[in-house]
Amino acid sequence: MRALLLLTLKNLKLLVRAKASALIVVFAPLLIILILGLSYNTSAPYGLNIGVYSTSFTADVESFITTLQHDEFKIIKYDSMDKCVNDIKLGFIHTCISVPESLAIESNVQKEIVFHLDPSKINLVYMIQETLKSKFNLKAQQLSQDLTQNILTQLSTAKTTIGDKKGLLQTAKDKNTAVSSQTDTIVSTLSSLDLGVSESTYDLAVISDTGSKVSTALDKVREAKTAFEGLNVSSGDTAVLTAALDEAESKLKSANNFINGTDAGTIRSLVAILEADLTSLKSKLTSASTALGTASTDLGTAKGSLNEGVTAIDDVLSSLNTLQTNLESQKVTDASTISAPLITKIEKVGPEGTYLNYMFPALLVLVVMFTSLLLGTTLVMMEKNSPAFLRNYFLPLNKVTFIMATYLTTVLLMVTQIFIILGVSIFFLKDSVGSLPYMILILLLASSVFTFLGMGLGYLFRSEETGVLASISLGSIMLFLSGVILPLESVSPLLRSITFFNPFVLAEKLIREVFIFHTAWSGLWVDLLTLFGYMVVLFLVILIAETLLHKHLVHRFLKHHHRLHRENDKKDTGKV
Amino acid sequence: MALVQLKEVTKEYEKVPILQGVNINIEEGDVYGIIGESGSGKTTLLNMITGFLQPTDGSVLYQMDVTGPARDLSVDLHKVKKQIGFTPQHNSFYPQLTVKENLFHFGKLYKVPANTLVTNVKNLLTFTRLFEHRNKLADHLSEGMRRRLDIACSLIHKPRILVLDEPTADLDTNLQREILSLLQQANKQGVTIVIASHHLDSVEEICNKVAIVNKGNVFCHGLIDDIKKPFLKENVTITLKPGGNKDQVLQLIRRLPVEKIVDKGATLVVYPKDIQQTVSGLLQLIKEQNLYLNDMDVRKPSLKEIFEMITKK
Repeated sequence: MRALLLLTLKNLKLLVRAKASALIVVFAPLLIILILGLSYNTSAPYGLNIGVYSTSFTADVESFITTLQHDEFKIIKYDSMDKCVNDIKLGFIHTCISVPESLAIESNVQKEIVFHLDPSKINLVYMIQETLKSKFNLKAQQLSQDLTQNILTQLSTAKTTIGDKKGLLQTAKDKNTAVSSQTDTIVSTLSSLDLGVSESTYDLAVISDTGSKVSTALDKVREAKTAFEGLNVSSGDTAVLTAALDEAESKLKSANNFINGTDAGTIRSLVAILEADLTSLKSKLTSASTALGTASTDLGTAKGSLNEGVTAIDDVLSSLNTLQTNLESQKVTDASTISAPLITKIEKVGPEGTYLNYMFPALLVLVVMFTSLLLGTTLVMMEKNSPAFLRNYFLPLNKVTFIMATYLTTVLLMVTQIFIILGVSIFFLKDSVGSLPYMILILLLASSVFTFLGMGLGYLFRSEETGVLASISLGSIMLFLSGVILPLESVSPLLRSITFFNPFVLAEKLIREVFIFHTAWSGLWVDLLTLFGYMVVLFLVILIAETLLHKHLVHRFLKHHHRLHRENDKKDTGKV
Repeated sequence: MALVQLKEVTKEYEKVPILQGVNINIEEGDVYGIIGESGSGKTTLLNMITGFLQPTDGSVLYQMDVTGPARDLSVDLHKVKKQIGFTPQHNSFYPQLTVKENLFHFGKLYKVPANTLVTNVKNLLTFTRLFEHRNKLADHLSEGMRRRLDIACSLIHKPRILVLDEPTADLDTNLQREILSLLQQANKQGVTIVIASHHLDSVEEICNKVAIVNKGNVFCHGLIDDIKKPFLKENVTITLKPGGNKDQVLQLIRRLPVEKIVDKGATLVVYPKDIQQTVSGLLQLIKEQNLYLNDMDVRKPSLKEIFEMITKK
């Protein structure tokens, strides 16, 4: 333990006495956090220069520009698209927007607004897209709202008209129904009409029989008269009888004439007339009956049509009712709600803060990562390349002591740095004091992992320059695959799954959860254990590497110095 | 009793032998020099003595106490290395710590008791003459001071053996002398010292024993005097006057009983068959022929010369 402290103290002395190291160790983090604090302790929008090109700067375009200017974007108007694009290339503006002179939608053709971005500024591209998208959405929503309002007005009118005209349709339906009913009555009435003529009631044989009988009676009368004349009857009686017979004969004659005569006014002629009339009537009645049948059929058809009409009216009414019900059931009648039923509202799951609040976890881990990596590498390199390296071989110390001393030196320096950073950060982030102890613990764990990584690189590489370069490269790779520079979602799924095991990602996640969301320890133990596991594994790897490499390093050290002396010998001619 | 024993130590790199069958004994209190050309394998040998490298074959044994058995470095490295102080070729301390901080840092890590450590630091600061500079950053010290601090750091836990790899390399003569003196003083205080160096003069100056490493083999090892014995032939070095007649001098010397004359330009090294006859003959020649010489030196062969002779064989 004493040896460990002695070696650590020696390491610290050596680091502090190298002015550059002291500067890096003490002032660099202070400076970094001060600069970051002053730079990002703001919630002001991004300072973007936006070029706007349009064939004509109409009221629509100007209104669009005004929308953008509300967010303090600096707007530069261009009358040439080429110049606008060229200025992006030259870095004068960040994006160029081509806006049509009119934003009114008058047909089914969408209006196109074209963005021109410099894809090489990949981090800015996303930011510009995101920032401006909201503005465009707002404008598009305004336009959509107008269009929707127009449709809604039309719908409202249609609803009113349906309400109004539905009564008329009902009346039409009722009338149709009544007509149909009347048709039934007519058909029924017509059906009840009997236009048939009974032939038996017109039996003329009776008349002929009567005529025959009258003729026969007449004949009998005549025969009686003849017979009477042959008889000697008193004149008086004869006269009376003859007169009576004559009268009877006359009357029978008359009756016979009436019955059997052919003259007009006789029964036969009357019957003939009557018969003719009857035939005519019968014919007419037949025609009437036929007409009645046709009328009945037509009335049936008419009724069917009327019923169909009623059914159709019913359908129309039902549809209108449904339509009306639907229209009435449409509770959302506000154009803005219909045009933008979903409003993108970003609710911050953590407390509101400045950019520094959100960037702080990543920045903190970034500083810790690079400093730990570099310190780890530098200290191992310092020891390896120190003239005293060989003398340490004779010291009665375990290899673990040297490793632990290097680690302890880094950790002590990191503790100093973390305290400086967090101390300074309190000035900017006053609300985060409560989470500082937890953050210190996580940072120490992360620092240990990065220190061992740095030490590993220190053992691997020969010169300090290459070691430091390797540390910076490793740090850069971890940073690049952390989602801080580019979203992890944009990398391949395989790489993405690997990046979740990136110590930087783990540490940053832990700090973010503690610092921003104040998550309880119980929710962090998996990541903490992973980080701790890394630390243990790396320590063992370094121990093995040191054991394997130490002898090799001593030999290399000896060889190097021996070669230098041989070269000196060659120059020295006075020696053997 | 040997503090360190290397028994049949062999080291191979990718099946290429770097060192073969090395047997060395380093006694307590020795100042042991390991010498050899660049690439001869001396640093490898040193690294095996300190435990940085494991021998491919053989063993490095440390006698930790008088009674106990010798400990194999590959088995008891953790216990043995507390007894070793190592000063590598380059400086091995923290440049951004002060002199005092470096010493306290390593002392504390060696678990030296606090009171002892304070005394050790004070003594070492005085011993290495760094007391005045104790609060200076190590990076701000001169090269000589740095080397002294490095040695002080190696001695902070009072090791029994101090191993130094090229301690005088890249230093000027004065600094070399300073460091050697420091090591001699440390040795006097009971620290066994092992030095790998190609500065043979320096090694000869302070070491009592050496091992000469050549092409992966320890050619010879032991006390310097013992190593020199087979090569113990005195010679006379004559420094000629600039513009003098060298040919005439050579002709006259050849009349004397000499085995070999080595012409080194301004100097002539004469290896006599009989040193006394040759020296008296030379003196007579100078008198008779009125030869005017700048200097004449009669001496035994140096370790460097012996080394050259060995490596040329």
